[in-house]
Amino acid sequence: METTKTTEAVEKNTILIADDAEINREMIKFIFDEQYNIIEAEDGEQAISIIMEYSDKLCLLFLDLLMPKKSGLDVLSFMNEEDYINYIPVIMITGEATDETDEKAYELGASDIIYKPFAPNVVMRRAKNIMELFEHRIYVERKLEKRTRQLRESREKLEKSNEFLVNALSSVVEFRSLESGEHIQRVKYFTKLFLKYIMKFYPKYDITKEKASLIVNASALHDIGKIAIPDSILLKPGKLTGEEFEEMKKHTIYGCELLEKFKQDENEFYHYCYDICRYHHERHDGKGYPDGLKGDEIPIWAQIVSVVDVYDALVSKRVYKDPFAVEEAARMIIEGECGVFSPEMIDCFGLAKQELFAVTEGEFSFADVMVK
Amino acid sequence: MTVQEFYEEVGGDYNEIMSRLRTEDRIRKFAGMFTRDESYKALVQCINDGNADDAFRAAHTMKGMCQNMAFTRLYKSSHEITEILRGKDLESAKQMLDVVTEDYNIVIAGIEKLLA
Repeated sequence: METTKTTEAVEKNTILIADDAEINREMIKFIFDEQYNIIEAEDGEQAISIIMEYSDKLCLLFLDLLMPKKSGLDVLSFMNEEDYINYIPVIMITGEATDETDEKAYELGASDIIYKPFAPNVVMRRAKNIMELFEHRIYVERKLEKRTRQLRESREKLEKSNEFLVNALSSVVEFRSLESGEHIQRVKYFTKLFLKYIMKFYPKYDITKEKASLIVNASALHDIGKIAIPDSILLKPGKLTGEEFEEMKKHTIYGCELLEKFKQDENEFYHYCYDICRYHHERHDGKGYPDGLKGDEIPIWAQIVSVVDVYDALVSKRVYKDPFAVEEAARMIIEGECGVFSPEMIDCFGLAKQELFAVTEGEFSFADVMVK
Repeated sequence: MTVQEFYEEVGGDYNEIMSRLRTEDRIRKFAGMFTRDESYKALVQCINDGNADDAFRAAHTMKGMCQNMAFTRLYKSSHEITEILRGKDLESAKQMLDVVTEDYNIVIAGIEKLLA
């Protein structure tokens, strides 16, 4: 890091002096030409083209206010538009103080204004202070940028590891039930599609990109409680008896019991996981389980997982049933033959329908879909 | 002619210029540059052409150089004409131009003697 700083200091050693009178340029030049490279510009246009060509090397710009073709203020405006103003300090040189132009120059980012006639040692001091300040600021900014980038990278890494672990955990249940191998991946993808429309058309839920990504991840765990359901029920090849079904329904409770052992009350993700595990079999009319919540008592994320879970179950083949055609499954959901969903969920289902069908009927592997 | 005598002759401030430029060699060099500058010529031309904007810029440049060179007398007259031209008053500028020309010629003649 030290080496780059030194090279920078060596390379950035050129001062541009823009003034239409040779004498005025020389007056500044003789102060600096022992220690710095000097480039001169006779008017504003020249100054601009030199700035563009030598921006990497310029450590300071002395700028006359009144010049032919383009004025000093024009040059400053240009430097603002192209962001040079943040990397090259500018000292304005002017014959007289007029509050209006001084104000304007400072507004446009000039670091200092020096009035003619000026004492060389004072100009030197002020110039050096300003150059040091800029160099230091740029150095600190670069360092900060680097830190921010590192932080972002480690956060992304952490998110990836989290996703991996959540996927691994949720596939334990899938693995045991020997069916619907990609059900969880599809539920995640469908949840993501639904959230896209919720964000677009239902801003009242205040779903941000960050929240959406947590909810998608949490959706993977919706059936985690099935791990506590005995094989005789979970793997039963026929229809369940009433008693067996009552036990099966408890997977929503079991899932929450499991999560509660690692409760993180202040963690948003924990709450999404909990709500989705517990409420993804609730119904809009209050006739679902385990708590019989109704309407908007059911968190929106649980409502979403509920509808996409039902859709995927309908169009998948199970030991006890053949898959329904996508259009038929859609009709059953919309007409309330298979669960009762809120009008908003039905609306989102209509919006996402074609995308859901594409996945169900598609030949592609799920890995590809998730990447998109 | 010494630099000090020159500054006395043209109505300039020798002490001021020495405090800033430090050496007489440097002052001579800058004086040479002053004779080559074309702002005065441009000022005359622009006033004759009735171009107040460019005349203002030329006068302004000249004024700045006089400040830098501590040519106090010429600075005063070029400052005055600059302000007149800022107000785009070409008629008054024409009258003031005579004063500027007189002061300018004194400076140029002085520099010629200084560098002879």
